[in-house]
Amino acid sequence: MITVASYLRVPYRAGAIRLSIGTLLLMVVASIIFLPGFLAGENLSNLLAQSTTLVISALGQTFVILTGGLDVSVGSIISMTTAIMTLDMPAFMRILLCIAVATAFGLVNGYGVARLNVHPIIMTLATMGIGQGLALIILPIPGGRVPDWLSTSVAGSIGPVPNTLVWLIVASLVAAWILYRRPFGLYLFAAGGNEFNARMNGVPVERTIINAYVLSALFACAAGMFLTGRLASGDPKGGATFGIESVTAVALGGVHLAGGIGSVFGTVVGAAILGLINNVMNLANVSAFLQSVAKGGLLLVLVVSQRRKTIGL
Amino acid sequence: MTTVNSKPGAPSASFNGKRVVSWISGLPPAYYVLSILIAVAPAVSATLINPNYWFVILKQSAPLGIAVLAQSLVMRVRSIDLSVSGVFAFAIYLASSGLLNSYPPLLTVAMPIIVGLLVGIINGVLVAYVRASAVISTLSVSAMLIGIIQYMSAGRAPGSTPTWLRVLTNGNVYGLSYSVIIWVATSVLVAIAFRFLIIGRYFRAVGDNPRAAETTGIPLARTIFVSHVTAGFLTGIAALVQISALAVGTIKPGFDTFMNALAATILGGVTFGVDRGGVAGPFVAVVAFSFLFAMLTVFGIQEPGKLIAQGLIIALAAIIYGARAGRI
Repeated sequence: MITVASYLRVPYRAGAIRLSIGTLLLMVVASIIFLPGFLAGENLSNLLAQSTTLVISALGQTFVILTGGLDVSVGSIISMTTAIMTLDMPAFMRILLCIAVATAFGLVNGYGVARLNVHPIIMTLATMGIGQGLALIILPIPGGRVPDWLSTSVAGSIGPVPNTLVWLIVASLVAAWILYRRPFGLYLFAAGGNEFNARMNGVPVERTIINAYVLSALFACAAGMFLTGRLASGDPKGGATFGIESVTAVALGGVHLAGGIGSVFGTVVGAAILGLINNVMNLANVSAFLQSVAKGGLLLVLVVSQRRKTIGL
Repeated sequence: MTTVNSKPGAPSASFNGKRVVSWISGLPPAYYVLSILIAVAPAVSATLINPNYWFVILKQSAPLGIAVLAQSLVMRVRSIDLSVSGVFAFAIYLASSGLLNSYPPLLTVAMPIIVGLLVGIINGVLVAYVRASAVISTLSVSAMLIGIIQYMSAGRAPGSTPTWLRVLTNGNVYGLSYSVIIWVATSVLVAIAFRFLIIGRYFRAVGDNPRAAETTGIPLARTIFVSHVTAGFLTGIAALVQISALAVGTIKPGFDTFMNALAATILGGVTFGVDRGGVAGPFVAVVAFSFLFAMLTVFGIQEPGKLIAQGLIIALAAIIYGARAGRI
C-alpha cells in the first residue's frame, strides 16, 4: 500500500530535489506576496489545468530517464492521441486505438534502444517524426469533435475536488506504485545506475528498458487524452513542445539524465515549477517573449546548480 | 608446388574481396541512402539528374551542411549542441533588423561568427566545466536567444538582409556557389585537423571512452570545451551563410534546424562517441537529405509525408547500422 510518507520520501536515489522544492516554495511564497490574484480559485484552477498535461507526460518520461534513456517522441504521441480522439468512431474504439498506437510506439522505441542498440535520442527522434506526420495525416488542422464525457472528465469536479486534480493524483499514484511497489521499479533504478551490475545480478535489463518506453508512451497517451478534454478539440501539433518540456521538468526535479537517480515527487515538483513560471509571468503581465528568456535562465540556474559526476548528455 | 599467392599471409583475391565487402558494409547509412536516391532519380524526373540542379541543391544545403559539421564535432565527444536554432535566429535578426547599418560592413560579416563563438564558449563552460546536462543547458541557451530576439522584434519579421552579403550565396566559381566553397573548405580544414593535429586524437579517445581517456592523461574537460567552442564558431559561419541565402530576415529560422542537423549527423555515421563517417559522412548525409526532400517534393508529398519519410529513414539507417556496428 502506498502511504503519503512513502510517496514523499526523499532518499539519495531521489536526486537533488531539495533545491527544486526550495525553488518551488520560494516561487509560491513570492507569488502570494507580490501577485494578489495568485490565490484566486480561477487562477489556481488554470494553473492546475495548464500543468497537468506536463506532469503526466513527465511522469512517463521519468521511467525512461531512470534507465539512462530519453524519449523525445512523447510530444508526437500526445499529438497523435488528440488527433485520434477526434476520429468518427465509438469512444471506446478511439481509446483502444490510442492505447494500441502508444504501445506500438513504445515497443518500437524500447526494442530499438534495448535490442538493436540504437541511441535513445536517435530512436525516439525517428519515431517523433513518424508520429508527427501521422498526427497531421489523421487531423490536418486543429478542430474536430471530442466526446462530451472526455471534456467533462477534465472540466468537472467531484464535490470540491476538481477533476484535473484527480487526473494528476491518479497519474502520480500509479507512477509511484510502479516505481516503489513493483520489482520493475527497482529494476529501473538498477539498470540506470549500473547496467553491467544489474545484469550480473539477474535484472532483465532489456525487458526493463522496453517496458520503460512502453510506460512512457502510455503516460503520454493519458496526457494526450487530458489535453484533448481540456481543449475540447484535437490539435495535431498540440503535443509538439511536450517532448522537450517533459525532459526539462524531469531534470528540474532532480532526476539525473544519466539514469539511476530520480523520484516521482521530484518530477511533479519539476513540472510544477515550469507550470508556475508560466502562470506567474502571465499574472505579472510579462511579455510572452520575455517568458521564454526567464524560463531558459531559471532552467539554466537550476541545472547548473545540480553539478553531475559525468560530462555529457 | 608452392606458388607465391599460396604463401601464408599473402593477400589473396578472395581476401581483398572480403575487405572490400567489409569496407562497403561499414560505410555510414548516408552513402546507401544517396546511392539509392541517385539510382531512382532518372525514373522520377529528368531535372533531378541535371548537374545545374545539383549545384542548386548543394547551394541550398550549405548552411545545414556547416551546422551538421559543427554538430558532428560535439557528438564525437559524447555531447550535443541544441543551440543551433538560437544562434541562427539571433544572427539573422541582428543582420536584417538594420541595427548594424551604421557600422562597417565587416561587423555584419563578423557578427554571426562572434555570436556563435560566444554561445559555443558558454555551452563549453556549462557542459565541460560546470558539468551541466548538455541537452538542457544548450536548449536553455537557445530558448533565451530566441526569446531575446522575439522580445526585441515584438514578434514581427525584421527587414531585408544586406544585399551585398547575398554574394556569398549568389556568387559562384564555375557554377559552384561561394557558400558551397565555404562548406567544402571548412569540412577540409576540420578533416585535416582530425588527421594531423593531436586534438583529433583527443576527440577520438574521449569519444571512445571518456573515463579511460581521462585516466591516461587526456584533458577531458578541455577537449569537450574545445569541441563546443569550435562547434559554436562553425555554427556562426553556418548562420552567416544562411543570412546570405535569405532575402528577407525572419525570427523563426526553424525549430527543425537542430533536428535536421542531428538527423544528418547520425546518417553521416557520427553519433555519441561513434565516429565512422569522418567528415565526409555528414557531408554526404546533408546532400542525401536535401536530395530526398527535393524528390519528395517532385512526388507532391506534403509535410506529413516528409516527416514520416525522414523518421523512417533515420530509424532504418540507425537500426541497420546499430545492429552491425554496435551502439549508435
